[in-house]
Amino acid sequence: MSTILSLNNISKRYGIVQALDGVSFDIPTGSVYGILGPNGSGKTTMLGIVTDVLKADAGSFTLMGQTPSAAQRRKIGTLLETPNFYHYLSAYKNLQIVANIKQTSEQDIPRVLELAGLVARQHSAFKTYSLGMKQRLAIAAAMLGDPEVLILDEPANGLDPVGIAEVRNLIRKLAQSGKTIIMASHLLDEVEKVCTHVAILRKGKLLGSGPVNAVLSRDNFIEIGGPDNQALTQLIKQHPAFVQVLPGQDGILQVTFRETIDPASLNSWCAQQGVWLNHLQMSRKSLETAFLELTNN
Amino acid sequence: MLQIIKIEWLKVKNYRTFWVFIGLGLLAMLAPNFIIHDIFVKNIPKEAQQLLGQSMYDFPLVWQTVASVNSYTSGIFSLLVITLVSNEFNYKTHRQNVIDGWERRDFVLSKLFWVVALALLAFLTSLVAVLIFGGVYGKAPFSMEGSRFLGYYFLQVLVSLSLALLVGMLVKRTGLAIILFLGYIMFIEQILVSIVKRFFGNIGGLFPLQAGDELLPFPIVEKLVKFSGPYDSVIYLTALVAYIALFTWLVFRRMLRTDL
Repeated sequence: MSTILSLNNISKRYGIVQALDGVSFDIPTGSVYGILGPNGSGKTTMLGIVTDVLKADAGSFTLMGQTPSAAQRRKIGTLLETPNFYHYLSAYKNLQIVANIKQTSEQDIPRVLELAGLVARQHSAFKTYSLGMKQRLAIAAAMLGDPEVLILDEPANGLDPVGIAEVRNLIRKLAQSGKTIIMASHLLDEVEKVCTHVAILRKGKLLGSGPVNAVLSRDNFIEIGGPDNQALTQLIKQHPAFVQVLPGQDGILQVTFRETIDPASLNSWCAQQGVWLNHLQMSRKSLETAFLELTNN
Repeated sequence: MLQIIKIEWLKVKNYRTFWVFIGLGLLAMLAPNFIIHDIFVKNIPKEAQQLLGQSMYDFPLVWQTVASVNSYTSGIFSLLVITLVSNEFNYKTHRQNVIDGWERRDFVLSKLFWVVALALLAFLTSLVAVLIFGGVYGKAPFSMEGSRFLGYYFLQVLVSLSLALLVGMLVKRTGLAIILFLGYIMFIEQILVSIVKRFFGNIGGLFPLQAGDELLPFPIVEKLVKFSGPYDSVIYLTALVAYIALFTWLVFRRMLRTDL
């Protein structure tokens, strides 16, 4: 699989703060790549370096297998941090400027305005827009020319719940159409629903990168419950594949096994031991839990 | 480059402040000549006029008069350059232009375009002023003699605009940049010139805007007080070109290296 972006030992320091510390990883074509990390972990700095608004102190990167230049940036739709537009110009006129810089046709403007739900207000000055509308315009600008690669830094910033859902759907649709999406976010929910790969940053250091499940180990566990959970706890410890049991919510037990367990066989095993389950569910550690475990270490 | 100019045009086409500045700038290049003519030519006693020789608005003196008068008023275009540059920083669109697919160099070129375009506009307006005032007020036939003063003026405007560009790029905040620039052209440089001239001699005349002033003495006054500089014109011209090169180089250096 070819690589869209390849970072090699990128470091960046602001005064005493080491914003990025020798970060290296590759983003494969067609992936939806989440850059995760708490506030101030270096996500935006990293994307700023990739888009040439920041200069790395050390290290290098390639875009689409080539030395980065404006020509590649024109093929990437980018939304970095805040929406930046000319306050005195309308949405349409701002997009005209973007289209000309990207050297793409202005005829695509109505499509992206429609996509962002800004058609009705397209001729109003940017300064009259609400925060959510500004963000929508930034998304529209990133979509101009239908680029194959998108860099989205906190795309749901400032949007209302409907807007957030719309952006999530949009990202999912774009991902399905085979586009590469690089998305920085601290909203794990967002990432969990759409990302195929993640890179995790904390205080400028890369904690891990690759396919989501490989980076954030999220063992399957089974939630069980019975009339007497104390007895059930004692019983489950005797299961041949048992690893650990943790109390879950509402008195449910979360049990981890050494191997994948078929719920039907587990149910039958419990019944043979004289305990009838009233709750049985295959479950998975949430990305949030896995992420917190990883970043708190 | 044409693409860059088109984009700059899209940025200002509907920007009212831009057109106000342009209108004021043009007015400031034409109006003072009416006033000066009224004061120095129309109302001057006939006897004095004879002593002075030809009128300030006769060819070839009109070239020098217009260039000299306009060298004081074209600062308005410098303020426009500062506004256009600091707008980009305020709106962070300098970042967005690069993110969207400009080289950082393109951003600098887009602003250098305004330096050259506004200098040309000032030059052409002054040329029109020379033709109008020389034709209407002057009694002497057209002559190209003295037209070099308009060339000096063009260079001085370029220096002033590229200095404004540099200040805008370094300071980034509109108000502060304008105050610093105005402070510099209105008195800081004058103070420096006086100090250096006093202690180190004529070299004080080589400050950026002073070098242009030394080349553009006000006619007539020049006859009463020795006004023009002691160096050969070539020295001042070289200084002007060197300043334009230096300011442009500093702007590029800044924008190509720094975090946006």
